[in-house]
Amino acid sequence: MSTEEYTEIKKSTIYAVGIILLISVVGYFMLKGSGKNTIGGLAEAVPNGDPQEVTIGMKNYNYYPNTINVKAGRPVRIRLDGTVYGWPQDILEFTPTQPGMYAFACSMGMGRGVLVVE
Amino acid sequence: MALKEFMQTLTKDGVEGELIKASLVSLSASFILLGIFYFFKLRYIENFIPKYGFYLFFAILGYALILPSIRHVRAYKEFPCMSGMMIGMTIGMMAGFLSGFYIGATNGMFWGSVFGMAVGMFFGAWNGKCCGIMGVMEGLMAGFMGGLMGAMTALMMFNDNLKAAGVLVFLISAVIMAGLNYMIYKETRGAERKHKDNEFFTVLYSLILTGATILIAVYGPRSVLFQ
Repeated sequence: MSTEEYTEIKKSTIYAVGIILLISVVGYFMLKGSGKNTIGGLAEAVPNGDPQEVTIGMKNYNYYPNTINVKAGRPVRIRLDGTVYGWPQDILEFTPTQPGMYAFACSMGMGRGVLVVE
Repeated sequence: MALKEFMQTLTKDGVEGELIKASLVSLSASFILLGIFYFFKLRYIENFIPKYGFYLFFAILGYALILPSIRHVRAYKEFPCMSGMMIGMTIGMMAGFLSGFYIGATNGMFWGSVFGMAVGMFFGAWNGKCCGIMGVMEGLMAGFMGGLMGAMTALMMFNDNLKAAGVLVFLISAVIMAGLNYMIYKETRGAERKHKDNEFFTVLYSLILTGATILIAVYGPRSVLFQ
């Protein structure tokens, strides 16, 4: 191998190593926290009180009711009636901790609603 | 064998030998810009890394795939019609799909589509003009479809394995762009270089794309579901 060929290969190797290093270092910082999916207000909490029961159906091509008011700190139990398709279980339970308004929708973004936590 | 020769040209001086360097320059420029933004503004945003880190990181990697290919095309300037159509279609589709996917994952389908279509149609048409109007049309159509599909895919994956899909999309796009570079090499073997872009070209477009992605993802308009 001539000196020129050696230098060319060395340059491209340095570039390739540089790319790998950059991706590794920056990727470590950018991806290390991104596994956590914290949805505000739905972190683990100690349930306090009887569950707030809500039943959701479909009416006029949207969820009904599509505005749900619940209290923070109390468990919520959302049931789906027979008009809603595609959900693997009939009941969704969680305890909202932070007041606010949270949008929810089906996976296609077609049926939508707002959960108001007071 | 042509593939083996192509791999060897990646390590030599010449148009193909600049592909790896252009990727490094693009990544460096984009990450430096992200670092500056982060230092001055983004670190004060609550949950910035968990919410946006993954998508911004892969968007930047996507741009580091696309810009060297664009440079590669511009180096030879003119191509036969079929090759030019393939170039416009591939670059338009990939640029549109990648940018649409990652913005769609943070801002919703509408804004992801708008951004993806804008990026895809611009790069598709710009590079497709190497073979005339057919390449421009192919680039526009591919950018349009890619941008829409990228955002749609992100939204449909929202309640599914969105991040795994993001990695998969990136890896498949990388293979396709490598294939495009190989195709350009095969089409232009023996041809002389007609144009040389210096590193400023790569840095400029990396900064524009990365800056726009960061601003739209973090501060831009978003659909109701992503408020």
